[in-house]
Amino acid sequence: MSNPLEDPDDDWWNSPINRRESIWLGLAGAWSLGIFTWMAGFTQFGDQNPIGTTYDVDPDRYQERVGEYKEAAEETEDGLVPPGDDVYVGAMRFNWDGLPVVLEAGREYDVHLGAYDVQHGFSIRPEENLNKQINLQVFPGSEWVIPMTFDEPGTYHIVCNEFCGQGHRTMHGRFTVVEG
Amino acid sequence: MSAIASLFRNDYGADGFRTCSVTGLDVHRSVENYVKLFGLTAVVALAVGGSFAFSVAMTRWEFVGLLDPGSYYTHLSIHAWNLLVFWMVFMEIAVLYVGGPMVLGRALPLRRLATVGWITMVVGAVGVNASIWLAEVPNEAPLLTAYVPLPVTPWFYGTAIVFLLGATIAAIPFFATIWSETRDSRRTLPLVAFGAFITGIIAVEAILGGIAAFAYALAWRVDLIAAVDPGIYRQLYWIVGHGTQQINLLAMITVWYFLTHVVGGAVVISEKVSRTAFILYLFFINLGAAHHLLVDPGVSAGWRIWNTSYAFYGAAFASMIHAFAIPAGIEAGRRRRGQGGGLFGWLTSAPWRNPVFASTIFSIILFGFLGGITGVVMGQIQVNMTWHNTLATVGHFHATVALGTTLAFFGLVLFVIKTMFRRDFVSDTLATAIPYAYGGAMSVATLMLMYAGILYGVPRRTAEVVRNIPGSEFNLSAAIPIFMIFGVFALLAILSGVLFVGVSVGSLLLGDRLPDGDDGGMLPEGGLHADGGEPIHAVELRGTFTLCLVFLGVFAAVYVLNWYLLTQLWSIGA
Repeated sequence: MSNPLEDPDDDWWNSPINRRESIWLGLAGAWSLGIFTWMAGFTQFGDQNPIGTTYDVDPDRYQERVGEYKEAAEETEDGLVPPGDDVYVGAMRFNWDGLPVVLEAGREYDVHLGAYDVQHGFSIRPEENLNKQINLQVFPGSEWVIPMTFDEPGTYHIVCNEFCGQGHRTMHGRFTVVEG
Repeated sequence: MSAIASLFRNDYGADGFRTCSVTGLDVHRSVENYVKLFGLTAVVALAVGGSFAFSVAMTRWEFVGLLDPGSYYTHLSIHAWNLLVFWMVFMEIAVLYVGGPMVLGRALPLRRLATVGWITMVVGAVGVNASIWLAEVPNEAPLLTAYVPLPVTPWFYGTAIVFLLGATIAAIPFFATIWSETRDSRRTLPLVAFGAFITGIIAVEAILGGIAAFAYALAWRVDLIAAVDPGIYRQLYWIVGHGTQQINLLAMITVWYFLTHVVGGAVVISEKVSRTAFILYLFFINLGAAHHLLVDPGVSAGWRIWNTSYAFYGAAFASMIHAFAIPAGIEAGRRRRGQGGGLFGWLTSAPWRNPVFASTIFSIILFGFLGGITGVVMGQIQVNMTWHNTLATVGHFHATVALGTTLAFFGLVLFVIKTMFRRDFVSDTLATAIPYAYGGAMSVATLMLMYAGILYGVPRRTAEVVRNIPGSEFNLSAAIPIFMIFGVFALLAILSGVLFVGVSVGSLLLGDRLPDGDDGGMLPEGGLHADGGEPIHAVELRGTFTLCLVFLGVFAAVYVLNWYLLTQLWSIGA
């Protein structure tokens, strides 16, 4: 009889395993491999992956680049209309530089995420449906280029969800998506 | 003073040993006193951190909106450090001393080191609290993570390193015991000692990562190095940030094997399988640190997939092994004694009025269903996009730590009050109520955090966002009903925590001393060891198997639901 407070019997390794425990091992192992395969496969066939290209960039240089982008963009009442397929977002205490922005539904944009000072969190959702939301980490020193295609026109709200200082909760920005 | 001194007194033989009337272990005075010391210190940290749970929860419940942002982040930091780190790690040193020298029937070696370790840990813990409380502009509250380059006082990093060094020193007597027991013999450690040993190794890995992370940040804060890389800090930090929570996991599972045996009459159904699961943890669990880097720039998809899955879910598989083995141990133990027929008779007839047993079982169930499942689901890199830095993440780790580990440690503290302090509870009714009240209230509060995060995208780490985002028309007010439930149940959970501390301290100070040989109502019906009965491998483990199938069904449902929500999103990523 085996108890967890005493040394096991000498032949503990060879003791038979209960039949139901063996079945459970099989089920748990299959489930483990199954969810691994799904996750790995989804990077190939899925449409939602937190995968993009990262470039090392000095925060000041990134701020300049966002400035150049803003110069080139067209200003409208609802925000900037990007000059091409690139959208630059510069996170800073306590503002989203480059936002608000006006985008077209159905068009693929390369969203550039970077920070000028400390770490921030890019958290975005459509106004109409709060459970459709995603969250990405933003660093100073990295420019992360993530492609996004918005299917539904509407207003998408961005808040910061990484603590960046006392005014953290006031960081708010907008993507306005219009019919393409 | 004399009341406190009397807490450290028991009747020992001339050699300093006594025989425990519950476990039958030969317990040396030295081990027992250090377990008491670390355990009591842990309860102090619990009381401090728990008090701050009140102000944190009442701020997030914006209906009350207790604190302004200036204080909120300070309170949140103190809440996190005392509960996620100090309450846990002081308890875990106690668990190591129980799992090592106490189970092996030895005196605690190197007692001076244990004392030095305890003092260093206390200095570090007090220092971390003071550095958070006294921080001044431009320094910000560190929260749990102290992410660079947000300016955090160098005193914080320094004192955190002191605490980690103290924990390392305090663990040395445990490793010395294991070393001297196994060095010259072909001895196979008992399962509890083996689990404690693996816990200790995981702990050392975590601590080394923590010292590296905090030393790196400290060097930058005191201008030894000019710049600091946020990505590198995050990688180093999460070795300890997630690693400490893996220590909690392993310590908790070790406590599960221990307590289900001594108060529930559980047996080990397969030494081979359970030990293999611990070995899987040893190799793979710390890869889970990558869970925090899944939506970070600069880490490749392959690196993230390999690490977040603990290499093909090696560690999740291990947890599912324990999820079967521990309840099956109870089922086998009780069926062999003829206690309870049918599918679940062994469970329904178990000693549910014993708070040690109920705490342990609730810990197992709630950790598995609420904490374990959500951890694996949110740990898939794609799903993580919808969980990262939302309150759902906070819900997840309240399910693992505040429900799973804390309930197991509640059970352990109550067990230690009976068996080591030899005190009766001041009130059996109140003691029995603890796991029911705390487990119930905290489960609801935890579920509400998950709903708020996943269904409404409510972020963590913010003083207000649901009713108002300053300077914006936008808010997340659709989540208000969820927070009305959360707030009430968070209060109830905090009151249940007060009940636990009250019953514990009250029993120590006012409880009757148990007579020698009295088991204090801890032993399972029929005693600890039941002879005879059929071989374990032949016992029909139908009940556990059914429960595990239910678990797998819930796991699959939560998995599918999360993936469904994800695939409703717009197209993201390359």
